[in-house]
Amino acid sequence: MIALYIVAAIAVFAAIRAIVEKNTGRKLPYANVLSFAVSGALVLLLDHPLSLVAAAAYFVGSTLESNAIASTYSGGVKR
Amino acid sequence: MIPALEAAFGFIALAGAVSAALIRDSYGKLISLGILVAGTLPFIVDRGYIDVAVTAALIAPIATIFVLMAVRREEA
Amino acid sequence: MLDEILHILAAAIISWILFVTVDIFFRLPETGGVSGASAIARDIEAAGGALSGGTMMGNIVCSPDASAGTLLAACGVYVAGIPGGLAAALMVFIGNRICYDPGYAGTTGAILATFVVYAFTLIGFSATDFIAGMVIAILTIQGLSHAHASRLLARLWRVRQ
Repeated sequence: MIALYIVAAIAVFAAIRAIVEKNTGRKLPYANVLSFAVSGALVLLLDHPLSLVAAAAYFVGSTLESNAIASTYSGGVKR
Repeated sequence: MIPALEAAFGFIALAGAVSAALIRDSYGKLISLGILVAGTLPFIVDRGYIDVAVTAALIAPIATIFVLMAVRREEA
Repeated sequence: MLDEILHILAAAIISWILFVTVDIFFRLPETGGVSGASAIARDIEAAGGALSGGTMMGNIVCSPDASAGTLLAACGVYVAGIPGGLAAALMVFIGNRICYDPGYAGTTGAILATFVVYAFTLIGFSATDFIAGMVIAILTIQGLSHAHASRLLARLWRVRQ
């Protein structure tokens, strides 16, 4: 189905841009696009209710990871 | 999975792994490890191992957070 | 094959409007929130963007917002209809709290998107069109040109203020 090809192509594009970009603060949005694309791909690959759980778990996990990286990059929470 | 899709996600995983090795900046390395995991998860789900996928998807970010905590303790 | 592509493009436009509206309504471009989001906003501004647009893009990275809600709701409707979409909304809500985000942008976006996607499936669209469409929409905001996207978001934020 064509949706899966589009999502995979966007994932490859976002991964390349994330790797090539030098600045951390600008890498993170590209990595975020990659997580969106992979979450969508997980559901499109396997049409089962639990793949929704896998997609949600992956998305929340990658968001938490990006949040932690961005937070540490910015110097942490100001006390 | 059709070969073109396998090639696409395999490329993402490989690019993530190679860039994790070559990039100097620490934050860049961590982001590249995240790209590596992103490339491998579709293979796991495609075979039907959803529980393995959920476990990997939850453990990888927590591992990154532990690495960040270790790095911060070294800097401080 | 051509009408599937047209459906996906239409779904992309609809999801773009939906998530940008909900996010701006919930004041995502407002500065002074999560520290990671401000760091990303600063770097985007340094590359020629606008600060408030960059803050919204930073908030999208750091916590599940309406864009994540729309994507997961479309996935939910695809696997299990309206109950699937609402289950996705619940997971987005839990994800928000795990990421220390006290807001409701993600949950609201997910609930709205569940009904929007379901309504469109009744008139010939497929939920997969919305999954691909939402990924295209987020690509246009976070994956093409940070400077242009942040300036567009800043202009929309000024309209809200």
